[in-house]
Amino acid sequence: MWEFLSPPTSDLAVVIAAWTAATATFTSLVLFGATLALRFATVQRTRRRRRVIERWREVFAATIVASAEADLPALPRYRDDERMLLLEEWNRLHEAVDGIARDRLARVARRLGFADFARRKLRRRWLSERLAAIQTLGNLREIAEWENFIELLDHPNTALSITAAKALVQIDRSDAVRFVMPHVVARDDWPQATVMRILREAGAELVTRPLCNAILTADADTAVRLLKYTGVAQSDMIDQLVELLLRERKEPAVLTAAMRALGSGSTPPRTARLTEHDVWYVRMEAAKLLGRIGQPRDLPVLEALLGDREWWVRYRAAQAIVALPGLEPAALRALARRQQDSFASDMMQQAMAEAGIA
Amino acid sequence: MTMQDFIGHAQWVFLLYFIGINLGYLSQNLLATIGIRRYLQTADHHEAEGVFSVLDVPISIVVPAFNESVSIISSVKALLQLQYPLYELVVINDGSTDDTLAKLIEGFALRPFPEAYRDRIPSSPVRGIYSSERHPNLRVIDKENGGSKADAVNAGINACRYPLVAVVDGDSVLQPDSLRRVVRPFLEDPTTIAVGGTVRIANGCTVRRGFIEKVGLPSNFLALVQVVEYLRAFLFGRMGWSPINALLIVSGAFGVFRKEVLTEIGGFNPRAVGEDMELIVRMHRHMREQRRPYRITFVPDPVCWTDAPETLKGLKSQRVRWQHGLGQSLFLNRSLMFNRHGGTVSWLAVPFYLIFELFGPILEVMGYLVMIGAGIMGWISAPAALLFLAAAIALGVLLSSSAIMLEELSFHLYPRTRDVLLLFLIAVVENFGYRQLTALWRLQGLARWLFGRSHKWESIARTESLSDATRSVRVLTMPPEDASRR
Repeated sequence: MWEFLSPPTSDLAVVIAAWTAATATFTSLVLFGATLALRFATVQRTRRRRRVIERWREVFAATIVASAEADLPALPRYRDDERMLLLEEWNRLHEAVDGIARDRLARVARRLGFADFARRKLRRRWLSERLAAIQTLGNLREIAEWENFIELLDHPNTALSITAAKALVQIDRSDAVRFVMPHVVARDDWPQATVMRILREAGAELVTRPLCNAILTADADTAVRLLKYTGVAQSDMIDQLVELLLRERKEPAVLTAAMRALGSGSTPPRTARLTEHDVWYVRMEAAKLLGRIGQPRDLPVLEALLGDREWWVRYRAAQAIVALPGLEPAALRALARRQQDSFASDMMQQAMAEAGIA
Repeated sequence: MTMQDFIGHAQWVFLLYFIGINLGYLSQNLLATIGIRRYLQTADHHEAEGVFSVLDVPISIVVPAFNESVSIISSVKALLQLQYPLYELVVINDGSTDDTLAKLIEGFALRPFPEAYRDRIPSSPVRGIYSSERHPNLRVIDKENGGSKADAVNAGINACRYPLVAVVDGDSVLQPDSLRRVVRPFLEDPTTIAVGGTVRIANGCTVRRGFIEKVGLPSNFLALVQVVEYLRAFLFGRMGWSPINALLIVSGAFGVFRKEVLTEIGGFNPRAVGEDMELIVRMHRHMREQRRPYRITFVPDPVCWTDAPETLKGLKSQRVRWQHGLGQSLFLNRSLMFNRHGGTVSWLAVPFYLIFELFGPILEVMGYLVMIGAGIMGWISAPAALLFLAAAIALGVLLSSSAIMLEELSFHLYPRTRDVLLLFLIAVVENFGYRQLTALWRLQGLARWLFGRSHKWESIARTESLSDATRSVRVLTMPPEDASRR
């Protein structure tokens, strides 16, 4: 039956061409069939997903509002292959609610046997199932998985390790900080937004001290990264830390990151060394800082920065001047007019226009 | 050497070429499948968890516009509705000879803005800068026509305030969440300097208020074929090069770049025909020469939709231009070729593009001509000639089929089963005429580059006299005598 593949000549090139054509055609047909099968499966899956989610969303919603055990809704029957969909929907809902609603959702999850199911999924190869499993076990505060999650902190896969960190904090936040913090310091692959959320969940009172200690002893790159998390820490300790860093550290990147870490209610640090720094972005950050927490007495420093050789320093200085408390539009216009330097006066005009001061 | 010998040798050359290029593409296909699978495995989780907060990375969007009076208002309105917490929109009116600027002024309540504009990347003079009273994140730069999109974009980059710059064509339709998706590689890896995303064909789709409302296939045959071509080019062409950091092109329709690197290398090359590719190749060269770690990445998400030409004339012009641009980009950065420190770019991507993409049309067109000619003249048997053609066509169908399959595995954007069937049909039909025609046009583009003829696109009437209506606005370029200040 394969005679059609016998080429009309014995030339090897023609034989190869014939086989190439046949193999490529056959593979294309297989791909065509597979694509159609895939399409069919996707359509079925989507429909089923929609049905399951519609049915169960009502059940979960009734669970959240049920004030007594007797009010809890009856649980509909579901197929085994629908359980993963349920789990994902349950996780989504759990993230969206708070307080007692979470406890009620956890009660339903136990009745549905989610913990055992998640444990089984945790050992699977498929990453998205493992992630959903860790998330579920964390949401259910399954202490039995504690050691497993500690081990997962070292996993090279970013999503797995950070989801495990989050689960640990959910299970026991005070104990978890001890294990999670060293990884927050070491793992530069962990997404900052998630780390922030984990630290916030752990709580400022537990996080502040280890975070400050880590920043003080870290190299420049790590210190810069960790300084971004200071928003979740206690502000008085952060102010002290920043003051210390601005005094002791020399790396421009650390100095700028430290200035950014200061909250708007902080006491202004001594900025003279910073507004005259050799590196332009340190001067720029100092100007920006004065724009946030500066006082009218800082005006001469900022006015000097209006003549800086770097556009960004002039820009931030002008913005800071406009933002200084107590400076009326007329005073700003007068300040702009008295600038001898056209670069400084142009920049003042721009900053005033941005602030809506004609 | 007899004609028979010549044909015998030619058979081998053509066969090896076809097998070589298709093996190259199939390897990319494999890499792309692995890459997309890995990407999708975590994408949903990251999305649900809000893993990549974008609060810390504001983006400047640069939109060059030349005589786009008809569409500029709807384009800008759509861009102002993107889902992203902090971004600014910088529209550049590149000396339009129609009422593009007037429409913008009226449509967005623009007022002259006294910006201290700095000319870090040279461009044609800026005549004025406007800001919107209604949209604080919108500014319009009115400049003299510089004769190229690159010149307009460069002026826009100079006015950008944020560390990431997205360059968007005025006629591109973005997904509302496109910025969130393309910014992800910058957050994952701080050495990322450029990111591109999948561009899809907008013909046949329903666009409402500047966004795609319903995905569909075009009824025009040429546009339909380009849907399959774009699937091939983006889903595995680019996705295949990205994991090995050898991506040589980020589409001009939509790309995001780190501003500091853009300014460092002097922005887009206004003299380049394919300024988008030339920029990326130059970025590779610059970073490799300086031995700095970097990544140029591609996200497979469909983030941008663009209009495909529906006439032979328009399509020909585009393909000739692309080929010309490819030759120019590789030539201008030829030091990358087999460079000791060039890594995968120098040893894999550039040679592949040079042999198969740039000079490929020569062998492809010759292959067709020689085989058909030899079959007709009886130098090889007609069935043998047909077998060679069949092999070329079957490999073409295979590549398109695998791209359609990959689309179904990943994003399955085309909702109806008949769309998928139609795409498969096109995957076969395009091999009879369309593919040969584009090979001819690419050959023409190659000749145009080799013989140094400028492309018609460069001489489109974009340098007509400028309107005086905006002359009263203060010219804010930097005075030359004080160039030490930046």
